[in-house]
Amino acid sequence: MKEPSPTQRGAAAEELAVETHGLVKRFGQRAAVDGIDLAVPRGAVFGFLGPNGSGKTTTIRVLLGLASATSGDVRVLDQSMPAALASVLPDVGALVEGPGFYPFLTGPGNLMRLDSADRHALPATRRQRVADALDRVGLTHAAGKKVRAYSLGMKQRLGLANALLRPRELLVLDEPTNGLDPQGTREVRSLVRSLAAGGTTVFVSSHLLAEVEQMCTHVGVMSAGRLVAQGPLAELRSAGQRQVVVETPDAERANGVLARLGLVPAATPDGERPIEARAVMNGGLAGPAPEVIVAALVADGVRVRGFAVEDASLEDRFVSLTGEGFDVVG
Amino acid sequence: MSADTSKPLAPGVRPAVGWSLLGSELSVLFRRLRTWAMLLALAAVPILIAVAVKLSSRPVAPGRGPLFLDRITQNGLFVAVTALVVCVPLFLPLTIGVVAGDTIAGEANMGTLRYLLLAPAGRVRLLLVKYAGAVAFCFAATVTVAASGALVGVVLFPVGPVTLLSGDTIGVGESMLRSLVIAGYITVSLLGLSAIGLLISTFTDVPVGAMAATIVLSVVSQVLDNLPQLDWLHPWLFSHHWLGFADLLRQPIDWTSFGANALLQAGYIAVCGTLAYAKFSNKDILS
Amino acid sequence: MTRAKRRWLPALLIPLALVLAVLTGSVQAGATVSLPPKTADEVLAMIARTQVRAFSGTLQQTAELGLPDIPSSTPGVTPGAGTALEFLAGSHTARVFVGDPTKARLQIMDAMAERDLIVNGKDAWFYNSADNSATHLQAPKPGAPTETLPSKPAMPTPEALANRFLAAVDAGTEVTVGEASSVAGRSAYRLSLAPKDPGTLVASVSIDVDSETGFPLGVHVQAKNQADPAYSLAFTDLSLTAPDPGLFQFTPPAGSTVTTKVLPARLTPVPDADSSPKAPSPHGTRVSGEGWGSIVMLPAAAVPAGLTSNPQISQVLQSVSGGRALTSSLVSVLILDDGRVLAGLVPLERLQSAAAAQ
Repeated sequence: MKEPSPTQRGAAAEELAVETHGLVKRFGQRAAVDGIDLAVPRGAVFGFLGPNGSGKTTTIRVLLGLASATSGDVRVLDQSMPAALASVLPDVGALVEGPGFYPFLTGPGNLMRLDSADRHALPATRRQRVADALDRVGLTHAAGKKVRAYSLGMKQRLGLANALLRPRELLVLDEPTNGLDPQGTREVRSLVRSLAAGGTTVFVSSHLLAEVEQMCTHVGVMSAGRLVAQGPLAELRSAGQRQVVVETPDAERANGVLARLGLVPAATPDGERPIEARAVMNGGLAGPAPEVIVAALVADGVRVRGFAVEDASLEDRFVSLTGEGFDVVG
Repeated sequence: MSADTSKPLAPGVRPAVGWSLLGSELSVLFRRLRTWAMLLALAAVPILIAVAVKLSSRPVAPGRGPLFLDRITQNGLFVAVTALVVCVPLFLPLTIGVVAGDTIAGEANMGTLRYLLLAPAGRVRLLLVKYAGAVAFCFAATVTVAASGALVGVVLFPVGPVTLLSGDTIGVGESMLRSLVIAGYITVSLLGLSAIGLLISTFTDVPVGAMAATIVLSVVSQVLDNLPQLDWLHPWLFSHHWLGFADLLRQPIDWTSFGANALLQAGYIAVCGTLAYAKFSNKDILS
Repeated sequence: MTRAKRRWLPALLIPLALVLAVLTGSVQAGATVSLPPKTADEVLAMIARTQVRAFSGTLQQTAELGLPDIPSSTPGVTPGAGTALEFLAGSHTARVFVGDPTKARLQIMDAMAERDLIVNGKDAWFYNSADNSATHLQAPKPGAPTETLPSKPAMPTPEALANRFLAAVDAGTEVTVGEASSVAGRSAYRLSLAPKDPGTLVASVSIDVDSETGFPLGVHVQAKNQADPAYSLAFTDLSLTAPDPGLFQFTPPAGSTVTTKVLPARLTPVPDADSSPKAPSPHGTRVSGEGWGSIVMLPAAAVPAGLTSNPQISQVLQSVSGGRALTSSLVSVLILDDGRVLAGLVPLERLQSAAAAQ
């Protein structure tokens, strides 16, 4: 159930950092990515959201030329992939499916090694850039240790440092907060914000809704290999529906009143609270004012113990889009 | 962004050849504990031989045991050649199999392969650099055996003019030179096996599998080379000329086997190299 | 997907190119060489006139006599009957260096070992690297200044072998010139000697004669019942310049076992078992028959003691009525129970009937 909003069509006109058309990646008969049309505007912090196994990492692998597309077009930074891999990748920093490092080298040793693989990187500034990158992710204290002795969180930071070895136009971060403690998560968030402020497009994949909500300007939602929604975060959020929640022992009667007012009764999320009545406000904009609703309820003898008008949470929105729940834990 | 000390090169500007990746490959290879362990094990072979001969009360009968074993007590310089003869069939292929089988599969296994490719190292370039690393190891391994043999021979036994297979005698200087040529011959001998290891390594993410397959192939090739029923196959086996370095110990030097060996190994490099290129450049990196 | 296919292309093309290169290489090696036509007599005259006195080259000797596999020379086996037998099966490579008529060196290149025969004037050395032994061979009369060891004939070169066959050419042999060939990178006439005698096992003997110098480059003996040459000896590499004289100076290396032997009349065993049928018979050897089909008969007294007890020889012998025999595609040897030995380039039956006729 795709909902192309008017603004999304407008987004095609603006400059895109990542763009795919009908991207399909099959492994044997199974389509891991099944015809997606991504549009990531330049300068955006794009949250690539979806449950585990929905095809996020596979999409990223294809975007970065690690895997070849079965069919479809991919453009990254205005160049066709994978033909222009060699000229595009130096401008792309990436963290794909967790960090991968030589356990027998130190953190800086690893970064030097990976930087030397880049023909465009100047050897003269290598040492300085490695030191700077380590500093940005707060790993300077562990510079002397072999990666073997790093914790998962430290490795994740080192992976981020690798993505930041050079000024990048695009950062692709696959689950960047995996293995980080809350403090680390906050740091990553602020790092992403500061990078975005510097003009870098950031493409963050996550299965954590809260993470995406907190740092992204744009969102794309993957479900079972399909892109079920994408667009600016605010737009998606407003596309959701407002709900009226009435706390009452007379749920049935309340529902009747709400229906009479033109609201559509909705199921209570967990069915365990018979003292609650829920109804969706059409379009989320028009509809009776809250005080009118409360007045009507009371006039009808509904014992109103609590009343609220809830903006649709993104979670509800995504549950309705993907049919699955998300881990909301940040 | 924080203090950026470099700017990306303008598009269209041809980047440097990037020798630093090769440098980095060599330094990573030779800083690994595993590499040193293997080189030390190889260095121990001539030492074991020399010490065993030194401690043995019974003189070695001529013609028994590996080449020149009986002559070690008279001239320490023979330790190097004897050790090379002992190492060529098994120990050297074993270590080369580990290094060559690890080339791509090892990186894939550690997860560093995707980051090298994202750097971007370039798949062909990475393949070449990995192969160059394996070749460097072949040379290091061979030279280690020869040098360790020469050293322990000099320490434990008298040193003097060296008798060749032809019965002629050459001075210490020339014998050193010939040892170096032999090391070169054996390095060349192992290039085909390295290319096979590289090829196998592109097919798997499990380095141990690639290593084992490479080592098994080296054994199989030698076994086939010893079956007289398959003599039509022998000239095509990559191990066929492995012991042909004996021709460098004749007077005058017979370069025929050197040339035939180099040609054969070049053929293996060409075939396995292009297959590895085809496989690796089409490979989905999913590790 | 087409991109992926394109990447597999070199993986197909390069092996294909290699196969083609190998094929064209072997075709070129066997390619016929065009030479001005010559008659058999002209080629024979070329051989007789050859001026090649100094050369160095690599010889390839192959024997496929259909004998059971003889274990390759085990280290420690002293040169003798067993070693001579070794040359009747499989292939061997040797380098031969000939300086002036009194200087020559033969190197039999074994795996990881070498046997050297160095002839230098009155001295000859045999060196075996496998057991690090050197044998100093001396001429029978060391004092006589005129007596030098034969050098060039002693070397088993195609020339020596060719001369033996050519000496045996008689009316019973058809001599023709076949297609020119390329041997050791040199173009050569192929002289073919075909026995007319139906009784012999020899189908033909071909001699490759260098078109430039008349030097025999190769000898191939074709047996009647076999497609591959039963025996061949040819240069794979030849240089007609004089080798470094230092090669003929031999000092036994330190640590080697040195023995001195005064030579009997005959030098080393010659790889070919075919001894000239018309040779003088020193020990009462009798020759019956003529030409290719002739049979040599040694009385029991002339046979070296312990010949049949040699394990390597007894391995290739089979029991037949009246004794034991060695049969091959080229040569038959019959050792009778009474000790007499018959040999010839004929089937065993002819030896048996010859023995019975005595």
